[in-house]
Amino acid sequence: MKKMADKTFDYTGLKCPMPVLKTKKELQKMTSGQVIEVISDDIGAKKDIPALVNKTGDELIEFKEDNSKLIFIIKKS
Amino acid sequence: MVEKINFIVKDKSFEKFMMMVILGTTGGAMDMEMNFFFTFWGLYLLKKKHKPKVAGMPFPMKGMATRMFKKRLKKFGLENSWELIKEAIEDGKMKLYPCQMTMDLMGIKREEMWDFIEEPIGAAAFLEMGEDAKIVSL
Repeated sequence: MKKMADKTFDYTGLKCPMPVLKTKKELQKMTSGQVIEVISDDIGAKKDIPALVNKTGDELIEFKEDNSKLIFIIKKS
Repeated sequence: MVEKINFIVKDKSFEKFMMMVILGTTGGAMDMEMNFFFTFWGLYLLKKKHKPKVAGMPFPMKGMATRMFKKRLKKFGLENSWELIKEAIEDGKMKLYPCQMTMDLMGIKREEMWDFIEEPIGAAAFLEMGEDAKIVSL
């Protein structure tokens, strides 16, 4: 079942390491089970965001590309 | 087990400084332990008054190249590098250690450095810290 994100963060224009650092900071503010949507146009983020959540133990529940935009749906563990 | 990477920083350039900032804060965000050991010219990066300059440019262009890189990085959202480092240190994920012997060798005082870094250590303490870690030289 698809879940709507509790919050959306648009990091268009930002490049490594900022999408990762900002995503982590926002995840820290969320409670377990909450979902955030992260938008980035940094090609590096395609591998960086999954690497981040892989290490922190949070869950990437969806990833999609919309033209040059990368959209990540992440569930806080 | 927490993954740990220990870095040796031996140069005072803008490039080495940015590598330290980016790898250190990102590793911290990934819940990894990131330790940096500053020796020889790398100690300058810990001095409050030191302004790192681009190394990969001939002398007359260093200042201009540094300003241009900073301007572009700001557009990428990366500025106030020391603020990012401070946050990672406060989170307990990033630690910066000056090398005591090279501080004495080069006449650099602890008071000239940022106060939120660790106290100076020697080679044995750094190597012991690296027993269960990867060691990378920047």
